Amino acid sequence: MTNMSVVGKSVERVDACEKVVGGKGFPVNVSLPGMLHGKMLRSPYPHARILRIDTTRAEQLAGVKAVITPKDVPQIPYNPMFFMPMTSPGLTRDMLMLSDTVRYAGQPIAAVAATTAAIAEHALELIEVEYEELPAMFNPEAAMREGAPEIHAGVKNNIRDTPSFAAGDIEAGFANADYIFEGTYETPRVHTCYMEPRVCVADTDTNGHVTIHASIQHLFGLRERMAYALGKPVSQVKVVQPPYIGGGFGSKLDMAYIEPIAALLSGKTRRPVRIEQTRYEDFITNGRHPMKVHLKTGVMKDGTFAARYASTVLDTSAYATHGPEVILVHAYFGLMLGYRSPHMKWEGKVVHTNNMPGGAFRGYGAPQACFAVESQIDEICEKLGFDPVEFRLKNTSRVGDPHPFNPAWKLNSYGFPDCVKLGAERIGWSARAKADSGSGTKKRGIGMAAHPLWVSGCVGFPDIYEHSGAIIKLNVDGTADLASATIDIGAGQNTTLCQIAAEELGLPAGAVRMSCGNTDSLPFDAPTHASRVTYSSGNAVKVAATAAKARLLEVAATVMDINISELDVRDGMITVKGLATPTTSVADIVKRAESPYVVLTAEGPVPTTLTEKGTIIGTSSLAPASNPSPATAQFVEVEVDTETGQVKVLRAVFAHDLGRVINPVGAQGQVEGGLQQGIGFALMENMLFDPDTGACLTSDFLDYKMPTAVEMPRQIESIFVETNEPTGPFGAKSLSEACLIVPAPAIANAIFNAVGVRVRELPITPEKILAALGKL
Amino acid sequence: MKQLVTLEVNGETQEFAVEPDTTLLGVLRDHLGLMGTKRGCDSGGCGCCTVHVDGKAVYSCMTYALSMQDHKVTTIEGIGTDTERDPLQSAFVKEGAVQCGYCSCGMIMTAKQLLANEAKPDEEAIRHGIAGNMCRCTGYHKIVAAIQSVANS
Repeated sequence: MTNMSVVGKSVERVDACEKVVGGKGFPVNVSLPGMLHGKMLRSPYPHARILRIDTTRAEQLAGVKAVITPKDVPQIPYNPMFFMPMTSPGLTRDMLMLSDTVRYAGQPIAAVAATTAAIAEHALELIEVEYEELPAMFNPEAAMREGAPEIHAGVKNNIRDTPSFAAGDIEAGFANADYIFEGTYETPRVHTCYMEPRVCVADTDTNGHVTIHASIQHLFGLRERMAYALGKPVSQVKVVQPPYIGGGFGSKLDMAYIEPIAALLSGKTRRPVRIEQTRYEDFITNGRHPMKVHLKTGVMKDGTFAARYASTVLDTSAYATHGPEVILVHAYFGLMLGYRSPHMKWEGKVVHTNNMPGGAFRGYGAPQACFAVESQIDEICEKLGFDPVEFRLKNTSRVGDPHPFNPAWKLNSYGFPDCVKLGAERIGWSARAKADSGSGTKKRGIGMAAHPLWVSGCVGFPDIYEHSGAIIKLNVDGTADLASATIDIGAGQNTTLCQIAAEELGLPAGAVRMSCGNTDSLPFDAPTHASRVTYSSGNAVKVAATAAKARLLEVAATVMDINISELDVRDGMITVKGLATPTTSVADIVKRAESPYVVLTAEGPVPTTLTEKGTIIGTSSLAPASNPSPATAQFVEVEVDTETGQVKVLRAVFAHDLGRVINPVGAQGQVEGGLQQGIGFALMENMLFDPDTGACLTSDFLDYKMPTAVEMPRQIESIFVETNEPTGPFGAKSLSEACLIVPAPAIANAIFNAVGVRVRELPITPEKILAALGKL
Repeated sequence: MKQLVTLEVNGETQEFAVEPDTTLLGVLRDHLGLMGTKRGCDSGGCGCCTVHVDGKAVYSCMTYALSMQDHKVTTIEGIGTDTERDPLQSAFVKEGAVQCGYCSCGMIMTAKQLLANEAKPDEEAIRHGIAGNMCRCTGYHKIVAAIQSVANS
């Protein structure tokens, strides 16, 4: 592994050059001849029944080609999220493409296709709707109250799900504990803020088959969801792979309304229909679920956990969507399994309200959990006088510990202790002062938080797609085409996978190209979600590359009339054992494999062999053994202005065990971008809604505040602990989510260290700090 | 009711028939097919649509096309191509400042004006200079480094 030539190098992103000169590959740029433009009419009421819709005037407007209302739409209840089979018994299917019951402000109730977007928008104003308003609830506590109106018929007290988890005897654990700590921690609804709006172009052919281009994170998920909601077989829906999309961060892990509606409008008009969401529509499509977490933790005098209890209320909003899954990931990986404890118990409630739908967002329930757990650990350490670094190390997993859901599988590699030690050393932990020991009005503090175990998107969770596939085809010019249904959402997935393929094939960096296919031509792949592509898709790509290389060497052995065991490939050349200089190139062998049986040369016709003929190709389709856990520790230094309550993050040090780094600059980019999202979550991001109408008040970037370049720390340091995961491609694990999971509690802990106040509700705004300091 | 407007885009003067509420962004993308200028929010909040008007960076989504009569507009396509990239474009590639890339063109246009105004801005000037351009992928760290590398060269 030490002599790798492509893996471990910061090779240039495969799409960087194209993106800086225009980026024509974004789905937002797709345009087809004769294309119409769709717009959706959205309800101003958060809870209402539609009594009447009159579309006559809209249909009469010049340029309007189709109008659809609930009566034109298959009334097939579905769940929009991609990564579970739609027919899974555990899945709640409570959404309709267009329904005559509205459950949140902004829910679409009708749609128009017209020759221009402006005409479609005008037509929306001509649709007359009569609503019967119903009582709306925006707070889970109110929705759970006995006698509260049911948002979904039969869902008692609006509680959709009450999952739980227990290990050991929690009461005995607390009885035995030397100390008990309790606290409640709250996190708000925040948005992913991908930059490219959700957009799609759907085109229906003469057989009624739909082809769709869309800015989404899973090709096969969109195919399955659309087919189901439209009542078509999956073979009648084709989803085209974009070369890249303009960010996703989880939000594009479900079918929005636009995709099936564009398909219906296209079916009705037999013309392509494009729908691009406005930023307001993007904001209300989905967001991170707000959660309220109560922790009760028993601790022994030696600083080990005696018992850990947690309960969570998750606002799953108008529809179930991801809520019942998010709360499980939140509880298992976020709350419970990161630290050892002999006795554990968790109880969750997934509650409907009339808020906008929740969705996936990088970390999938873990940021809400990590904020609670990591804040409380520091509270415990402060009270009992433990060093937060030592306390965490004492209570985490060890190499060889069993996988939480896959008992046959162990923690093979676990670099968490090194992450903590190296991070602490880099930030200068040993010189950290006691809480609130500074003077003056600007006080500095250092804090840390960890995410010791993270296996989201893994084998072992019920009914979750995990398999991946790849096709690798060698070209006569010595390059290779890689086909994988993975979508590059910005994190550099295509570059990483091309590096893995090039390394395995023995080709130079840049000689492998990601081609773009569609759901008809590509093997299935799970979504670009969780922290999985480098590991799971990477393994599939490596296996396909191994197969392609084996065939390449087989052909080379035939052509060169030499034993295959004598041959290898390096840097695009076929090498022979014992010979210093390669005798032939990959390109020459591929040319020969693809040549006619008799090759015409200057010297005359030369017969070849049949066994060498054919495209040199390797394929794979497989499920990975599991998804090994990356581990993370983060350290931050903040400055708190005690006069204004403002917090500046001055410095951040991240240490990650990611097995092996495939592309260091790409990995640093993940860390730095995750920090931006984490600082936003910690200090400023919060979706606000009108308390009476439920209307979103933060639906553009002027009202929804996220960190700009000014709010980011000047120093961000990434430490990568390479543990060489034996089941990973070239030792790699995945990385993405942890980068956003840890910053909020690290910042909260640093704020405590600076000024001695503990804020248990995000975002930690200046007002909350001043209030905690007794200045408001 | 459409009206005519004449403007110069990337050195070429053309006449367009536009509605009064058509934005410069709309002309660039829908009339000229200049897809490097992105619509991110349509409300002057993200900076993805940044272009230069007479050398000054503006949000094209907040600029009416009719107000552009006789003005000179430069888009990302006007400052470099894949074979002849602007130094900023090259620096963004080299420094790893591009992830999803949706903000990149607008960010580069803002940075280009920043460097035109001030040859050697320090890190603080760069950070404040690009504060009107949002990026959700990179944390801005490598974007700032890319701009600094051009400023220092």
